[in-house]
Amino acid sequence: MNSLKVARMALRAAARPQPALRRGYADVAPDKLRLSLALPHQTIYKSQDVVQVNIAAESGEMGILAQHVPSIEQLKPGLVEVIEEAGGNKQFFLSGGFATVQPGSVLSINAVEGYPLEDFSAENVRNQISEAQKIAGGSGSEQDKAEANIELEVLESLQAALK
Amino acid sequence: MAFAWKAAGITYNRYLAVAARVVRRSLKDDKRLQAERRGEMDLRFAKWEGGKQGENKSLADVNQADMAAHAGQSQ
Repeated sequence: MNSLKVARMALRAAARPQPALRRGYADVAPDKLRLSLALPHQTIYKSQDVVQVNIAAESGEMGILAQHVPSIEQLKPGLVEVIEEAGGNKQFFLSGGFATVQPGSVLSINAVEGYPLEDFSAENVRNQISEAQKIAGGSGSEQDKAEANIELEVLESLQAALK
Repeated sequence: MAFAWKAAGITYNRYLAVAARVVRRSLKDDKRLQAERRGEMDLRFAKWEGGKQGENKSLADVNQADMAAHAGQSQ
């Protein structure tokens, strides 16, 4: 009788599956940042482990590494640089948006438009700068001038990035 | 943080749209044509009151008029 009980217990123990490892802050490798970089029409990075991301926030240029304190940053139109695990550096010019660092080394960047630098044409940038300067200094409505100033801010940042 | 565009009455939404438009126009020509299509918006709306549909208006025009009216009121 006793041996049957022991056998039954042994069978039960063997059949019981190992409990799944509980997911906590440590499920992302502690020295990697999980990056999601998304535009409305395209996902550039989807929960990919990277080493570091440099962003141009309104509060200043920042470099985000793993274990960064959670924060929400409004982005300036500017360059975002992603340092990947395999050692590659990718740069994207984003038109503006937000970067959110969540607990557990998760970084989400949302932007409206973003392209790698080689997709831009320096000549188109220059033409737009001169047009925007004309409108900003001209006699149009306040709104047109304000919009031209926004354009100038973006274009100057883009021109500096393209050099 | 006071933004110049906010003081001029431009909403954050419009600011994003203007910045995106500029970035699209700065692309090399092959990518630019595809991207410019994303910037087109031709939204119309009509207010309903008492079961009757009002006049059909273009959202872009109404937004522009509202922003010009509110310029300088915020910040």
